[in-house]
Amino acid sequence: MAGDIILGYEGSRGSAAALRTAVAVARAFNATLVVACGYEVSPVGGEVADYAKVVQRLGEEKVAEGLAAARALDPTVTVEAVAVPERPVEALLSLAGQRQARCIVVGGNSERPLLGVILGSVPHKLLHRSTVPVLVVPAPEE
Amino acid sequence: MATRQAAVEAGGEAGSKGLKSGALGLVSTTVIGVASTAPAYSLAASLGLVTAAVGVHSPAIMLVAFLPMLFIAAAYYYLNRADPDCGTTFTWVTRAIGPKTGWLGGWGILMTDLVVMPSLSQIAGKYTFDLFGAHGVANGVFWVTVVGVLWIVVMTAICYVGIELSARTQVALLGSEIVILAVFAVVALIKVYANNPSGSIHPALTWFNPFVGSSGALAAGVLTAVFIYWGWDTAVTVNEECDDSARTPGVAAVLSTLILVGIYVIVTVAAQSFHGSDYLTKNSADVLGALGRDVFGSVFYKLLLLAVLTSASASTQTTILPAARSALSMAVHRAAPARFADISPRYLTPGFATVVFGAVSVVWYVGLTLISKNVLGDSILALGFGICFYYALTGYACVIYYRRHVLSSLKNLVLIGVAPLVGALMLTWAFLKSVFVYSNPANSSTGNSAYFKFIHFDFTVWHFHFYLKGLGPPLVIGVGLLIIGLPLMWLWRLGRPEFFEHARQTAETLDGPAPPLTPRTGSGV
Repeated sequence: MAGDIILGYEGSRGSAAALRTAVAVARAFNATLVVACGYEVSPVGGEVADYAKVVQRLGEEKVAEGLAAARALDPTVTVEAVAVPERPVEALLSLAGQRQARCIVVGGNSERPLLGVILGSVPHKLLHRSTVPVLVVPAPEE
Repeated sequence: MATRQAAVEAGGEAGSKGLKSGALGLVSTTVIGVASTAPAYSLAASLGLVTAAVGVHSPAIMLVAFLPMLFIAAAYYYLNRADPDCGTTFTWVTRAIGPKTGWLGGWGILMTDLVVMPSLSQIAGKYTFDLFGAHGVANGVFWVTVVGVLWIVVMTAICYVGIELSARTQVALLGSEIVILAVFAVVALIKVYANNPSGSIHPALTWFNPFVGSSGALAAGVLTAVFIYWGWDTAVTVNEECDDSARTPGVAAVLSTLILVGIYVIVTVAAQSFHGSDYLTKNSADVLGALGRDVFGSVFYKLLLLAVLTSASASTQTTILPAARSALSMAVHRAAPARFADISPRYLTPGFATVVFGAVSVVWYVGLTLISKNVLGDSILALGFGICFYYALTGYACVIYYRRHVLSSLKNLVLIGVAPLVGALMLTWAFLKSVFVYSNPANSSTGNSAYFKFIHFDFTVWHFHFYLKGLGPPLVIGVGLLIIGLPLMWLWRLGRPEFFEHARQTAETLDGPAPPLTPRTGSGV
């Protein structure tokens, strides 16, 4: 649906913070919140059907967890959960495109900035590639 | 819940990018097929051992060894259709022959993957020092082992975290590897005719005749050379939808075959022409390093070393990934501790299995370095036993699983009957024959002494000569690790019998997926 808020959720502290912000944004715009998780298994090295199923179940568990957390925060916000079998960045971008989203909300890499540099950081890639606004929410300091 | 339906919708929109499943192009499919076999590393590790077994007839062995791999690839292709699990041989054999044999097949995969690790690390260590000109260090044991251990640690971390090179980078790396090997072969051959380097010999047609030496030598040669094609078949028989799913996989298979067989034969011919085949045997631990300096000037020599290193890294990756996934598949089907199915929540990789495999590899590598005088030689030969074991099992599984369809058409007769069966028989023969060859210390070019010398017999039935005096290190490692699986399987069966309650299956259809392999108790995936 046009105007949805897409939340990239993978269960970390950063994405828990992003979830709180995303719920607030969805409430403010009276928009649907889509809790999304992208996952992909590498096809290098042969067939991966059972591995892919295990990962898919993990992705579905995560978005279900995010959905429950969002509903617990504010039962008035409409929430959907979507697990997408694509790389995280691709998953969020294609969802945002399909649903003509208002914005994408993700957690920041503030916990492990160096790891983000080495492995590539989802918020960083999103900021460069997304055609809709991206909101990066820092994880609260302990 | 909207989850799954939405996922399907979103998945349907997936475009073509990188190595994403569902969108492999012709070039990517070919590249994965060739890169999985790691030509430069395979040659560096095995060329000297092949010439040790068959002398100048090594080009023939390169061709002959391809046949069983090609035949078994047909089995992989059809079994993948029924059951595209990453357990491969493990799940297929469980269906076709039974859970006990299937379990041993899975064990065979894991042990084979483990056995190749020391050779990968050894090559990585040696060629790293060669690259920086520290040839003295490269010939020592200690620092090579240190770098080798670091290599395993770093590659395990890369697999754990799930870093992948983009398709374009892989094409570039593999392309340069092939080009460097081809240039190496051409330059070597030109110099053979122009400069006559010491010991050089001109290529002859008899090099391509595999049936000149003894059958034992042929078997030993094949046992060594199946290793160089190892991985090609798994990569090339992936049934994922390609850009043009009707044509791409077939064309990619043919292309990668031509590239692989071509480069192996040409490099083998060139390498043994240059200083003779004995020179390769003598330098079996460092063939391309030793030859490279003489064939190339310093710049190209370094490029050759780099090609071997990138090739070894690709090969390490395509060893650790499938090993961890085989363990995952066994755990999912309750044939191994459940922890091996744990997925790292952050990186979505089989984290526990990956780390355990890396750790065991380090222990195995260091242990082998301490007790073996020739880590590389022993590993590659031992590896041959493992590959022959589980590939042969796969071939038999294909024929047994599809037995009702074998006679339905000529194509089926060839592809799911004759080819897998002949491939499996060839590998079984190479396995058994090699047991006798490598149990005789006189046949061991690696200069290793035999263990268990009390096992001794020597007799002739008709014109078959049976001789066994002790067991050489490759035999102890290769066959010993497989045999350890037996008591382990019985132990696991005592504790967790569910997996072993599966009934055997046969294929209902030739194209359709097999019914799920679910234990009677609990819910498998």
